[in-house]
Amino acid sequence: MNAKLKNYSILFIMLASLIIAIVAAVGLGAVRIPAREFAEILLLGNETENSTILLQIRLPRVLLSLVIGAGLAAVGAVMQGIFKNPLVDSYTLGMSSGAALGAVISIVTGVGFSFAGLSTTGVFAFIGAVTTLFFVYNLARNKNAVAVNSLLLAGVAVSYFLAAVISFLMLLNDDNIQQIVFWTMGSLSLTSWSKVAMSYMVIVPGILGLMLFARELNIFAMGDEAAQYLGIDVEKLKRILLVICSMIVGAVVSVSGTIGFLGLVAPHIIRMIAGSDNRRVIPYSALLGAILLIASDTLGRTLIQPVEIPVGVMTSIMGGPFFIFLLRKQR
Amino acid sequence: MDYSIKIENLSFGYNEDLVLKNVDLVFQKAGFTSIVGPNGSGKSTLLKQISGILRPSQGSLNIEGVNVERINKKDIARLMAVVPQNTALEFDYKVMDVVMMGRYPYISRFKGETPKDREIAIENMKYTNTYQFRDRSFNQLSGGERQRVILAQALTQQPKILLLDEPISHLDLQHQIEIMTLIKKLSMDQQLTVVAVLHDLNIAAAYSDYIIMMKSGEINFQGTPVEAFTIQNIRSVFNIDVDVEVSAHTNKPYIYTVTRHEIKKNCVKAHVICGGGSGSEIISNLFNSGFEVSAGVLSIGDLDWKISKDFELKVAEDIPFARISDAAYSINKKLATDADYIIVTDFYIGKANIRNIEVLLEAELENKPILILGDESIAKRDITEGAALSLYNKIKNKKSSVAVSREEMYSILNNAGVTNEC
Repeated sequence: MNAKLKNYSILFIMLASLIIAIVAAVGLGAVRIPAREFAEILLLGNETENSTILLQIRLPRVLLSLVIGAGLAAVGAVMQGIFKNPLVDSYTLGMSSGAALGAVISIVTGVGFSFAGLSTTGVFAFIGAVTTLFFVYNLARNKNAVAVNSLLLAGVAVSYFLAAVISFLMLLNDDNIQQIVFWTMGSLSLTSWSKVAMSYMVIVPGILGLMLFARELNIFAMGDEAAQYLGIDVEKLKRILLVICSMIVGAVVSVSGTIGFLGLVAPHIIRMIAGSDNRRVIPYSALLGAILLIASDTLGRTLIQPVEIPVGVMTSIMGGPFFIFLLRKQR
Repeated sequence: MDYSIKIENLSFGYNEDLVLKNVDLVFQKAGFTSIVGPNGSGKSTLLKQISGILRPSQGSLNIEGVNVERINKKDIARLMAVVPQNTALEFDYKVMDVVMMGRYPYISRFKGETPKDREIAIENMKYTNTYQFRDRSFNQLSGGERQRVILAQALTQQPKILLLDEPISHLDLQHQIEIMTLIKKLSMDQQLTVVAVLHDLNIAAAYSDYIIMMKSGEINFQGTPVEAFTIQNIRSVFNIDVDVEVSAHTNKPYIYTVTRHEIKKNCVKAHVICGGGSGSEIISNLFNSGFEVSAGVLSIGDLDWKISKDFELKVAEDIPFARISDAAYSINKKLATDADYIIVTDFYIGKANIRNIEVLLEAELENKPILILGDESIAKRDITEGAALSLYNKIKNKKSSVAVSREEMYSILNNAGVTNEC
């Protein structure tokens, strides 16, 4: 079976790249930590002079990049499947901005409670993402039909509006411009192990949940009506998938702010090399998203030291032109 | 339960306007039914009701004995498959993957597909002649090939009912016939109940066992193709004039669209004495040029008689093969007397119809212009051993008679028509 062999080799190459990316990302920075020392600290538990940098700063940051990249890319793949359009992801539809606004509101108002191990910020971000998504969707809807152009326009417009509201709120309550940059451009510079733990708890089960519906997502490509003829309760399934997506986006945004275009680009590249079958597209996109985000963040913090380019800026610089390329290819 | 689908008093509407009104229908098992009607007549909506995409506002819908509202989507998908007009995939898949999607209602989420599922898919791909495409990408196939793949997918659902929503309207003639023949074969081989919405009446007539004609959300006529597709039914449903011819070989109707330009009437009356098809072309030409045409004496059921009836002309008629009765003779004489011109066509003259020329020697017709066709062949056409020929010569020798060719006849009549406008 040639196809099977191809799939295994793609999987192998991606897993290998992921490991290389992790080791490189942990090693690179103001202080270089060679792979041997990394292994020593991590595997043997030896203390070296770089232990603290590695364990408290680099490693959580890289692990956070990994899960965030994976989450965004998986969400992108699924949303492209739901809306049957390759230009859609959590960023272009304004979900990320909505989540960021939710997170900012929770921080500014200081509403402090937590349930089921989730921080309030995460819950607010989730609510922000869901609300924005349904708002944008209804804005674009015209008698049951949703034209993708209007969906994208509505998403971008709402995104801008929400970003402005976020900036305004931050200016009123906290004159730290750094904070605004964090929420609107996305950054991984404020990482802690607790954030890492919280993200993995939501995002990993979320991605696995999405993968359960890969077969249905494949059938979605035939159109909503045809999917119903094949036995899928389309509207119900869309709601389930979009709620899972919103949970992932909420978790991502509450720890990293809005990171653009990653969810758009990764599934695309995967479809080009591995085909459209979502049973592969979702997990492979997650892997590629992880690799790309680790790479972008590492580039961002090492390119012009000591200045750190926010990771959202890096992904947008690379993703924006790709988006335009796709947009032109479509028509 | 001898029916496959039973619809009782079904109504449906968006907002206030009803798209379907009190529809009652029964679809027999393993039959091929076509739904036809003009755009907006509700035929696609009716199909969407059956397929469960839309729910009736009122009334009930039973499929294989079960009320549709009580069946879940997967169970419906095992019972019924739908082939839409045209399918394009936003993300491209291999043909094999597309066909395998048809197994979705049978595959459990955690077990995945079994070898048996693949076997069924492959079998149906072979049946629809798509197996050779299995590794090609769906979007690269031609329209006809894609439609066959979708058909394979539908069959892979192993349904009892196959619904088709204008399955061939995007295809060229060759592929239209190919797909329809395949579907017909299917309905017979696998005892499938087929319900198709079709635009082309002739294709519907050729392949269906049963026709449903819809207009403004209601069923106007239903029956076998011959029963449903009459000139009157088609005129009332589609608002067009057609001719219908029923093939003697297949007993299927064939529908011709008629482009009838406005006929400019003149006041010239022409009486055509003919029979056996000798006058058909002349009658229809004269009628379409605006003459007031009559004919006689015609045998009921012959070609000249049919044409005259289609045009609703005044006709002297009689039963075939018998000697012309006095009643028919006198009607013929009356029509001839009323006419401005009498045309005698080149029909065979035997004992039964010899009175058709005899009439021309009546005193009332003494000065009536008589245009005689086929002078050169009269000897051959006389099958009365001379009686007809001698009558014929008497007629021809009348002052008002003239033997003419067809061209001459038309030019004489057309001149008269121009000078005698109404």
